[in-house]
Amino acid sequence: MTWDIGTIILLIMSGLHHASILFIVAAGLTLVFGVLRVINMAHGSLYMIGAFVAASVIQQTGGAGGFWLALLAAPVAVGLVGAVIEFGVLRRIYQAEHVVQLLATYALILIFDDLVKMIWGAEYKSVSAPAALAGSIRIGDQSVPVYNLFVITWALILAAALWLLIYRTGLGRLIRAAVEDAEMLEALGVNIPRIFSSVFIIGAFLAGLGGVLVAPRGSIGLGMDLDILIEAFVVAVIGGLGSFPGALLGAGIIGMMYSFGTQIAPQMAMAFVFLAMVIVLIIRPWGLFGEPER
Amino acid sequence: MAGGSSTIWRSGWFWAGLAVVGLALYPQFASRYYIVLSTEVVILALLATSYNLIFGYGGMVSFGHAAFFGLGAYAMALLTKNYGSPMLVGLLAAPVVAAAFAFVIGWFCMRTIRLYFALLSLGFAQLVWVIVRQWREFTGGSDGIQGVPRPEILASHANNYYFALAVTILCMLVMWFIVNSPFGWSLRAIRENTQRSQFLGINDRFYKLIAFTIAGAFAGVAGGLYSQFQKWADPELLFWTTSANPVLMSILGGMFNYVGPSIGAVAFVALREIIKVRTDYWPLVLGLVLLTLVLALPGGIVGFVAEKARPLLSARKGETRAP
Repeated sequence: MTWDIGTIILLIMSGLHHASILFIVAAGLTLVFGVLRVINMAHGSLYMIGAFVAASVIQQTGGAGGFWLALLAAPVAVGLVGAVIEFGVLRRIYQAEHVVQLLATYALILIFDDLVKMIWGAEYKSVSAPAALAGSIRIGDQSVPVYNLFVITWALILAAALWLLIYRTGLGRLIRAAVEDAEMLEALGVNIPRIFSSVFIIGAFLAGLGGVLVAPRGSIGLGMDLDILIEAFVVAVIGGLGSFPGALLGAGIIGMMYSFGTQIAPQMAMAFVFLAMVIVLIIRPWGLFGEPER
Repeated sequence: MAGGSSTIWRSGWFWAGLAVVGLALYPQFASRYYIVLSTEVVILALLATSYNLIFGYGGMVSFGHAAFFGLGAYAMALLTKNYGSPMLVGLLAAPVVAAAFAFVIGWFCMRTIRLYFALLSLGFAQLVWVIVRQWREFTGGSDGIQGVPRPEILASHANNYYFALAVTILCMLVMWFIVNSPFGWSLRAIRENTQRSQFLGINDRFYKLIAFTIAGAFAGVAGGLYSQFQKWADPELLFWTTSANPVLMSILGGMFNYVGPSIGAVAFVALREIIKVRTDYWPLVLGLVLLTLVLALPGGIVGFVAEKARPLLSARKGETRAP
């Protein structure tokens, strides 16, 4: 393997692509933690459901429009699942200890895993990207898939949209206030349960969106929930649980570690990722951009 | 001592003795299937009890206990299969290896508390898992190690069960004395009120680290027994989903009672076997059971056991929660 400029560009592009998916998923995880103070272990399950719904939509509609429909339908469907989770489970345990929340959402992993198996079966599924995004463009003497660029663009749009949502809307102002002091906000007459529901649904929507975007790139199967959950954890922890810029930076770091790591020392890439998480937690448990736990 | 009355103290040992006699006679009446199943239960009970040293007694939620279980399993498997050591050497090495890792990992983890402690223990366990899975030349990679040898004398299922039972009872006794020693009571004091125990001159981090290491060592014993019993070890034993099992068993059986996690292990395996005969969806049922447990007891099982079941349990088994 030679380290010419083309190779480096290729690795950067592939790292950015991975980072984009990671950011979208981890942003949901970190948003939910920031406001609800709950680590949603079932976040990966929501992502998996998103991918399976997308596969079904694309297969049912067949034509080129299928993917675009899935891009809308899957996150919405997953958002609805999120609403059910929030109403049915999380709402009852906001005041409980962390271990109760972890166990409840862990129970959801088990439940969703089997539900997905019941509905879609245990076989791997694969769908292809729409024709418009199928080809690849040449950078130097390397070719980069158009789809990767599409995903990266989406992540950037999403990052901007989230920023606008949080810093430029009424809901965003309430969300930021809830992060600071939910109790005080409630005392001021704000409907906190509604904020919590909205935030959780947005988080689920993001997980679902990650699922659709990843669908054409890999095989869709059981087990993808645990894979992404751990990666999103690492990203959120490195950036600081509850921090958006942190999730963005964390995703970038982990994406690059994967893409360059697999090139340099394929066996060790994943170990470096966990090592990074461990080191950050030891030196700065609240992450690069987070704030110490209150 | 718990309850303050010597009759309670004696009756606790009486019930324990009765249970041991029952467990010892049991294979005479049971079929092979049940003996094999019971061997697994006994090992998991040891794992769950070791976990409860830090969870129930130390008040630390670790999500990385599987690492020590898996390291013990690998120590046994590698030594006996690849280096031809006697099984007992493997069984002694298992807790040593696990404790060494637990001490180092614990040393770092003690810098954090609560949620971040859980996350850091998870991170470390995953790191160990990745290394075990990727270091193909040494650990056999994702295939693990198949065909761990078993000494002639343990060839029969009943003998294997007796061996696991004897080791587990021995470990349970040692752990019982640990949790009821001044060290054990200091640990509970730290759990109940860290600041106050600091004022009393207890070095809380050090005590917790020692507890973490001891728990890791006994998880290593359980792991050693497990790979010897299953005749294989694979990276799945160290994966974080395995870490969830002892948490679950402790919660199921009751984390504030010494035998609670063991009862949880029995309930866990019994439930699994009952469900697996009927459907392929054991995780679904487990998830629903867990969810029901958590939602039906909003203050946590913790609160439930402490408030409601304490008089009931302490009357029989000897109380383990500080008043």
